[in-house]
Amino acid sequence: MADIPKTPMMLITGSLGSGKTTLLRRILDSAAPNRGQPPALQAGNPAAGPAARIAVLMNEFGELAIDSRVISGKNIDIIELAGGCVCCSMTGEFESAVREIIETVGPDYIVVEATGVAESDALVFEVEDNLPEVRLDSVVCIVDAYLGTRHPYVGYTSRSQIASADIILINKVDLVTPAEAQTVEAGVAQYNDRAAFLRTVKCGVDANLLFGQTSRHRGGSLFPASEDKFDSFAWTSEKSLDKTKFDELVGELPQELIRAKGFVRFEEGGRLFNYVVGRADFEEFDVAGTELVFIGRNLDRLRPEIENRLNECRV
Amino acid sequence: MAIISKLIKKSDTVWEIPPDFKEGMRVPARIYATEKLVAEMDEGVLDQVTNVATLPGIQKYAFCMPDGHWGYGFPIGGVAAMDERVGVISPGGIGFDVNCGMRLVLTTLTYDEIKEHMKELVDRLFQRVPAGVGSSGFVKLSHDEFRTLVEKGARWCVQNGYGWEEDLERTEEFGQISGADASKITQKAVERGYRQIGTLGSGNHYLEIQVTRRENIFDPELAEAFGLRIPDQVVIMFHCGSRGFGHQVATDYLQVFLKVMETKYGIRILDRELACAPFASPEGQDYFAAMKCAVNMSFANRQVILHRIREVFSDVLRRDPADLGLHQVYDVAHNTAKLETHIVDGRPQRLLVHRKGATRAFGPGAEGLPALYRKTGQPVIIGGSMETGSYLLAGVDSGDQTFFSTAHGSGRTMSRSKAKKMFHGKALQQDMERRGIYVRTASWSGLAEEAGPAYKNIDEVVEATEAAGISKRVARFLPVGNIKG
Repeated sequence: MADIPKTPMMLITGSLGSGKTTLLRRILDSAAPNRGQPPALQAGNPAAGPAARIAVLMNEFGELAIDSRVISGKNIDIIELAGGCVCCSMTGEFESAVREIIETVGPDYIVVEATGVAESDALVFEVEDNLPEVRLDSVVCIVDAYLGTRHPYVGYTSRSQIASADIILINKVDLVTPAEAQTVEAGVAQYNDRAAFLRTVKCGVDANLLFGQTSRHRGGSLFPASEDKFDSFAWTSEKSLDKTKFDELVGELPQELIRAKGFVRFEEGGRLFNYVVGRADFEEFDVAGTELVFIGRNLDRLRPEIENRLNECRV
Repeated sequence: MAIISKLIKKSDTVWEIPPDFKEGMRVPARIYATEKLVAEMDEGVLDQVTNVATLPGIQKYAFCMPDGHWGYGFPIGGVAAMDERVGVISPGGIGFDVNCGMRLVLTTLTYDEIKEHMKELVDRLFQRVPAGVGSSGFVKLSHDEFRTLVEKGARWCVQNGYGWEEDLERTEEFGQISGADASKITQKAVERGYRQIGTLGSGNHYLEIQVTRRENIFDPELAEAFGLRIPDQVVIMFHCGSRGFGHQVATDYLQVFLKVMETKYGIRILDRELACAPFASPEGQDYFAAMKCAVNMSFANRQVILHRIREVFSDVLRRDPADLGLHQVYDVAHNTAKLETHIVDGRPQRLLVHRKGATRAFGPGAEGLPALYRKTGQPVIIGGSMETGSYLLAGVDSGDQTFFSTAHGSGRTMSRSKAKKMFHGKALQQDMERRGIYVRTASWSGLAEEAGPAYKNIDEVVEATEAAGISKRVARFLPVGNIKG
């Protein structure tokens, strides 16, 4: 598998009007060329760099791609967007559509927008179990803080979306008080005690947090930072690491640690490493040494302990 | 899980939740099910059916049918009748797949006569009736033609050569619900729908070739009246709806309702998924007219599929469709809201009856039934899981207790993801083939979602409706060929 890198995928869920299209636009804008910083300054973001090719997959073309020329494939219709990105609508079933995107478009990253009523838990399973070509990078669920304040009851469709998310954006916090945002978050947290909660305005979220490490790009943060403040630190090592000890550490990372990513060299070989709120993924990958980034909250407090344990992993 | 402790047993098949269960309930809620089926129901059913009981204008009870489980806003299996003047209309009470429904078609063939042609029939049907998420059909329409079609429904199809005149009288609303207004639908909805006439779609939608055995005829007289007259008779049943079009219509109006519900009409609802507007308001009326377009689109969709079925059977068996007896028994929706007259407190009243995952089941003599079924009561088509079989029922007089509504299928017992974890599509297909059910699917993992054990026992569901007196069994069908959407 080392020679065919997996394509990372993000699933975006959320109820009607919560901000799914806004987040998609941000992701696509960030991938367009001549924006943001020079590639050399970018680190860890697949949306970075002049050639990042993102494929958005949706059930039907939404507002992203109206009046564009449609190229019809077997399981997808494709519309070319600015900056080399594409928007694909499904005409066949999900698995075949994803495979066709990988074969014909060869994107650096796939973003799937699930409709407002999708059973996202089924989609997550589909990716993890039936699509070995894909690495599930993150499941992002967007919650509308404004509507959530007016209607605190969390509907059953929303519950299923929330339950399967890694990152939950409590969006539109500019329309509510901090106390109200807290209430909405507490309501949502009843259905997911694992996810990272981020408060956002117009889905403004730190891309470093949103995206894991991809095999092709070592980009940087292009999005305006979210309302929350995150800490991060890097750790490198020339020596190989002990896989068992590293797995143990990953299994015990504290909840405040939202994302970890990078390249790890084990005695048995190199790995592309991605971690998001308790879910870790290792993919065979040629690496020279270990380069890791840890992102989360209260890292000043947590950093010494994590670094100690990393040092102990050194063989 | 166990919701049963919170219910008051009214009879072996009727369970009540009084209005003091939850603040704001205007009427009690009633779940129609046996003790066993209630025990299998999720907490969401109880929570959602009591949420529905808080909606303005609701009459008598908020109901849930024996196949109920949690859905978007309303439970699937939810029935709620709203007063025409003061009640609301809610997309969550209709479903995103507007007029998702069932159509049953007869043949004069026995199983032995088609056995050797089964694979060819299923393969050809699989080619001619496109399945899958975004699949497009063979009827090529311009946007304007599609706008005409959604106002005319199945009648448009018959006028354009896709069907027989008699199909219309054997379709609910005669295939064309009046009041559909294409000026109330968005361009986006048109774009999602105009290529999808004649397509099954994905999920739990299917087309099945089935057989009725002698021992599976429960009411010989009604079976005869509905056209089941020979032993091992082959029938064709299919389940589909209004595809992306209905979904877009619902989405468009949910957005409208969320904006005006509270600010303009002062309606406070518990669950945002129950977004609604007063039925009599401009927004409510606009949605009703747009939703009817989706109802007609779905009737047209099933009409074109019937036309394709006739073509395939005729091609494969080299006989004329009329000679093969390919007459439709009935076409009935299980995701709609319709204006009907029902007796409330001894007086006839105009009510907007929401049925979401529930089937209309008019008893004998009801207005709206064609002459053909005036005496028998309405045929009710209940789709089971693809492994276990399906039913033909009939509406009964005592159905008035649920505004003449009954179950629609067997209802899921496990989530799609759980089913996918437990079953493997390809192995399931091979296993079913060994048991004499030949399956074609657009998606292996989608097939796994539809495995028999993912659903409630269909026999228990229909027995519960019969015991409760909301419909009666006529015949049970066993699948022999299946195309899964």
